[in-house]
Amino acid sequence: MTANDQWKQQTSDPLGLSNLEAIEPGYDGWAQIESALQTHQDSKRNWRRAGGWLAVAASLVLVISISLRNGENTPANETLSPGFATPETSLASVPVTDNINALIGLSQNMEDQVKKLRQETNSMPAESAIYVAELEDLIAQVDNELSLAPDSIDLWGQRVNLMLDLAEIYQQQWQIDYSHMASL
Amino acid sequence: MRACEKIYRKFHKQSFTVAVRICNNRELAQDVTQEAFITAFKRMHQYRGDSPFWGWLRRVIVNHAISALRKLPRHDAVELEDYMAPRDGDQDGLGQCMDLEQALGRLCDEDRMVVWLHDVEGYKHREIASLVGKTESYSKTRLNRARKKLRLFISESDQPISQEATFNALA
Repeated sequence: MTANDQWKQQTSDPLGLSNLEAIEPGYDGWAQIESALQTHQDSKRNWRRAGGWLAVAASLVLVISISLRNGENTPANETLSPGFATPETSLASVPVTDNINALIGLSQNMEDQVKKLRQETNSMPAESAIYVAELEDLIAQVDNELSLAPDSIDLWGQRVNLMLDLAEIYQQQWQIDYSHMASL
Repeated sequence: MRACEKIYRKFHKQSFTVAVRICNNRELAQDVTQEAFITAFKRMHQYRGDSPFWGWLRRVIVNHAISALRKLPRHDAVELEDYMAPRDGDQDGLGQCMDLEQALGRLCDEDRMVVWLHDVEGYKHREIASLVGKTESYSKTRLNRARKKLRLFISESDQPISQEATFNALA
């Protein structure tokens, strides 16, 4: 130890507290920690599974909304004879407001999911961050359009779709972080 | 999970030491260490790798220890004699360490925490102040006071017991 080091130690630790020995814990708490982490991982897995189902549900609603739009644009008597029931006509019989409400609910759910994912993934590569920013811009544009036409199924469908893309980026980032941790 | 276990085995003793020094209570320190490791493993993705891992983990432990102390209205004194196993030779050094251990255990929570974080863990006054939600001058005052008290306690333990003190103790 040089004189400079000694001087530094005397000023930063004049009583020599750092010379005290480390304390033996006298217990092994790994099993408890392992079990807590296992529970945490299980709940995370369940949550991700639920997220997957939510994504499937979102896609289904999108398909329904697109079918509805097509149904609205096609004249009813153009190809079908009256009284002939098809999937399209039965879908069209569902009230439009119900579909909008479903999409709004879905959009809110996706927003919550993205919020949670965002909290869990703090570090993100620059490319992903740029893509996230672009998607958020697009969502903001759709929100603007929605403020003018709040009952547009098409716009709500777009919003859900963009939220799905956003969730997917965060999900991928989370998986990268997780595999990085596992490889330690 | 195996990686986490390796980390736990590597840093368990160091972590427990920091927790005991701050909490001054083995049982509380054990709870703090366990909770801190669980938190650290859950938030492993927040460690960016641009600083030593121990520095990051220590911060988690210190935060847990401080919040554990805040939750307690008061806590029991620590069993100081359990900390150091007797070693052969260097009796003077051992005696000094015992004095210092005991003196440290006699400090109040805040004095002990400040002196330990500053003198041993190398925390700056600014960092300590932000940890406890006070000003830098608070940390500096606490540090001076703690060092003075430690010197006083050590000098008290060095002095031979007077007849009056013995009489008082027996009475």
